[in-house]
Amino acid sequence: MALPQPLRTSVSPQELELIASEQLVEILPLITMEKTAFISGAYGPLRPPAKCRIPLWMAVNLKVKKKCHIIPPDWLNVEFLQERLSRETSYPEFSQMPFRFAEIAKAILDAAPDDVQNAEKVRSLLKDLREARQAKSREGLAKLDHSELSLPNLCSMEINELRPFFIHAMGVLTQLSREEQNGAAEEP
Amino acid sequence: MASKTLTNSAHEPGYTCITFSRDGKLSYTGGSDSLVRIWNMDKDQYQEPEVAYEADEGITTVASSNDYWLSGSHDSEVRSYVHGKPDLHGLISKAAGVSIRDLAVDPAGKRVAIATDETTVKVVDIKEITNVISLAGHRKCVRKVTWHPSGNLLTTSSADGTVSVWDISGPEPRVEKTIDGVIPAVSDPESTDFMHDCSVVWHPSGGHFYVSSRTHDIVVISRPNWDRLPSFSDSSITSAITALALSVNGLYLASACKEEIAIWSTQTKRILWRHAGTPNAIITQLAFSPSQNLLAWTDNEGILTWWREPVPAGSPDPIKQSGAANPQGGSTKHKVPATSWGTDDDVNISSVDSKGIAAGENGDGNEYGDDWIIDDLGDGMEDEAEGNGKTEGENKFVKEMVSITKAQPAFQPGSTPMQNKRCYLAYNTVGVIEVADQDTHHIVTVDFHDRSARKGYHFTDHFKYDVAYLGMLFFLCERGALFACPPEQEHPAQVLYKPYGTWSSQGDWEYVLPPNHRVLGLAAGGERPTKSLRDPSSSGGDIQGLGNVVVATSAGDLTFLSGSGMERIVLGLEGEFVSMAAAEEYVLVVHRPGATTIDGSQGLTATLISFEEFEVLQEKPLPIPKGHVLKWIGITDEGVPAIYDSSGHMHIMINFRRPNRASWARILDANTLERKQNRDESYWPVGLSKDILMCIILKGRQEHPGFPRPLIQELPVRMPFRNKNSADASIEESVARERVFIDLARDGLEDELTNSELDKREIELDKSLIRLIQSACKTDKAPRAIELTKRLHFAHSISAASQLAGFYRLLGLQEKIDAIKRWREEQEVTPLETVRERRRELEQEDRYMKAPKKPFQDFEPPRKIDRPALARPAAVVEHTEFTASNATARAVRTRVEAEEHSWTPPPEGKRKRDAEDEAGVKDLEREHHKRCAVGEASTPIPSPKSEVFLEMRRLCGPN
Repeated sequence: MALPQPLRTSVSPQELELIASEQLVEILPLITMEKTAFISGAYGPLRPPAKCRIPLWMAVNLKVKKKCHIIPPDWLNVEFLQERLSRETSYPEFSQMPFRFAEIAKAILDAAPDDVQNAEKVRSLLKDLREARQAKSREGLAKLDHSELSLPNLCSMEINELRPFFIHAMGVLTQLSREEQNGAAEEP
Repeated sequence: MASKTLTNSAHEPGYTCITFSRDGKLSYTGGSDSLVRIWNMDKDQYQEPEVAYEADEGITTVASSNDYWLSGSHDSEVRSYVHGKPDLHGLISKAAGVSIRDLAVDPAGKRVAIATDETTVKVVDIKEITNVISLAGHRKCVRKVTWHPSGNLLTTSSADGTVSVWDISGPEPRVEKTIDGVIPAVSDPESTDFMHDCSVVWHPSGGHFYVSSRTHDIVVISRPNWDRLPSFSDSSITSAITALALSVNGLYLASACKEEIAIWSTQTKRILWRHAGTPNAIITQLAFSPSQNLLAWTDNEGILTWWREPVPAGSPDPIKQSGAANPQGGSTKHKVPATSWGTDDDVNISSVDSKGIAAGENGDGNEYGDDWIIDDLGDGMEDEAEGNGKTEGENKFVKEMVSITKAQPAFQPGSTPMQNKRCYLAYNTVGVIEVADQDTHHIVTVDFHDRSARKGYHFTDHFKYDVAYLGMLFFLCERGALFACPPEQEHPAQVLYKPYGTWSSQGDWEYVLPPNHRVLGLAAGGERPTKSLRDPSSSGGDIQGLGNVVVATSAGDLTFLSGSGMERIVLGLEGEFVSMAAAEEYVLVVHRPGATTIDGSQGLTATLISFEEFEVLQEKPLPIPKGHVLKWIGITDEGVPAIYDSSGHMHIMINFRRPNRASWARILDANTLERKQNRDESYWPVGLSKDILMCIILKGRQEHPGFPRPLIQELPVRMPFRNKNSADASIEESVARERVFIDLARDGLEDELTNSELDKREIELDKSLIRLIQSACKTDKAPRAIELTKRLHFAHSISAASQLAGFYRLLGLQEKIDAIKRWREEQEVTPLETVRERRRELEQEDRYMKAPKKPFQDFEPPRKIDRPALARPAAVVEHTEFTASNATARAVRTRVEAEEHSWTPPPEGKRKRDAEDEAGVKDLEREHHKRCAVGEASTPIPSPKSEVFLEMRRLCGPN
């Protein structure tokens, strides 16, 4: 494999973003287009000023060409994120977020910061949210067992971050527990 | 705003008070900094006022008599000063170590009533201060005292929430009346509520007084029965009224609350003008100047504000004695100009009431001239919307109208009034036109939703009549932007058209109206261009036609112009114009043929006029509930007229293509929307299609969308069916809605009555119906299943229904469905055929009327009398000519032909055409001979039609 060692164990964030760009988002088109068939399905027709749901990759593409406005999903606004952040900091468990929220938010904020109200604030909230969740997932790793790790509401990007570590750690733990068992079996 | 306010931080924050000197040249303000400042009203707010320093603690009240002015303060002393000067004259009274709360000098200027934190009110003679009358009887301290205009009555407002009226004309003062439960009870002198001015304000007629109540409205109480009259209330006033003042002549009442200062008309009890207040400041006292058109107030931040000219020029003056209290029959012969929305110049019953009371009290009404009526006819109260009224004014006719319902003014769908120097001139499904006011000029931005077809642009408008833009109308249609500006001095009103397609100026045109005429509404319609207008290869779709433009003018007409600016026709319009919208082939005009009714109905009618022949296709009153107004009209994506009113109902006009057979179908009730529940929001429609309402959602009491431009939201269109319990309710609704739109689409078709797209939609509809049949079968509702089966469009759908019935083992039902199918196949009664039959009937009924022929002047040949027995079988296909089966028909035809030969002159119709054909043949033959004579190669000239006829003639002619 041509990839360097640390990247081999896990998917890169760019790849995750690519996966997330299949998700549907709402756009406000600025051009007319008939219903068009793509590999993933047929989307359209685009009839301004009617909204339309198309995949994120297409929305980003159109946005770059200034042919649409992306309507941010209902979780990508200051109020919602603020509320989630306060919940995140006051309760021990993870709060519920869309599974690929980090990737979608990044794609939308990169391509269409002008379509998100108060984009700077949203960005900083997302960062705070990420840090809060990261701290929790580190704490959660302490509960790592040789057979299971239960962290409900963990999102794709966070799983991806943990994966190289906990796969390895779990392997080590399994080995240890096996040796323990073997040792226990041999002792008597 | 023409009137302006001047402010000055006169005192330290805290309680402040203000009064004017009797001549109105000076005003005195007192504050918690224990100073009284004397302001010269002729100077500006930067003047250095004279100051009286004598008080030791905060001033609580100032009052003025003819020769002196008085101040009361927390140090429990009432001091008197020389008029207009800060020179102490003497002490009037001293309370026992408690604060003075209010002073009031009687109208004659001789006595002063002193309210203190004691429970007794003292009335002291200013010249002879030992002459004191004590009014005892309050249980708590008295906050405010006021005098009746006669000087015989004194009203006191106590902290326990009672208002007492004292009669002090006799030797012994006595309580004439105690009114409880009107003003709030405030016992804590430190609370902010205690600062509120709860004094009663007597009308100059003495017949009634005003007092702000604890329910945040202004209560009117009449003398001598002390009845409560209808109070002043307005939905915009949500907080406590902190101060009240009445203009000298009693025409206007000023009230202050947290948000604003409002000036009410005491007659109509409506707010005429408003002025925004300072946030968080409580206005502690309001005062009208006795000699100037000026309102002044002080607030608890110590700021003194003068509002110069609160009553705009043209409205009845607040100073001059006028007919406000004029009792002499004025109430019955009250004349007002044209009623218009947003002004208050129509009379309502309550105003007549209050005038009646005034009549009872005021004996000397003669000094009040009738001139105020003339004043009222001035232009002052006319606002922008009153375009209609102006033309009437030219004729010197006075409109006499007794109407309580305000007539809705003309409006352009999708436009908003100027707010914060910005407004929308048009907002529809094509695009948006915004205007930003830059003081010296306007910037007009035209933006399209679909940027691929048309390019947005903006231009700066440097017209010298920039104010006129406020009333400018814009209209965006498929082909171009139209705008109109109102007349301004020497500028006549004009309509400008800018097509999108051609960017050179050759497409522009303008249409100038005669002076003083105004444009009330604009609409443009026409076939939608199928090609992009920016496509240079096609000539911008010009060949398809340029569309039609309709202009509604204040001259009471609708002017139809062609797309290139040619005048086509001017139609008179019944009543006042309200709004209009144009579709491809017709224009929808909303107008008011009569007047508004007394019980709140707007009396609007929608008229559909075709562009082609100017035929009125429909004329239907609008289904707007009483007390509501039309908010929007438009055309759906399917080309159907639609209206939206303030009660939240969206209606579309179904059957609009069938003359005089239209009806309004309620397609949406915004109040029953899911998202509307428990939310205070309203909807501002932009466009409508069969599934979605495109609108802007307005929060709270917002009436128009603001800036930056909000996103268009999509709401599902649901017919307001009430049966929502069953699981199939949503399918039933969508089937009914789809049915409506399929019928509408079918009405627009030619004789074919169907096309592939409609077939596709009907197949979808059949699918939904079959789902309904399935659930009916499941719940064993055979009658419903049969009813639904009858609605199916295609034979194979009926087979599917029959299979369904078989699946659910409903054999009886299955047999019935099969019977329906057989019957359909035999009788050929498909739904399509029924529609065709229906249309044929309608065509018969709607045949147009011919002009009557005058007797003895009809020189046309006698009309053919249609006798069925003698009629020829029309247009027989000739391939059966020699078959035996139609021998009888042939015999009949030969006989008729023979008869026709013998007749002279030949009857009109087919026979005549034969003769023409023969003539044609002869011509051809002659031509043929000519050519032969010239010697050219003779070619047989094909004339198959005439040859066939000749052949026929030869065969059946002679015998």
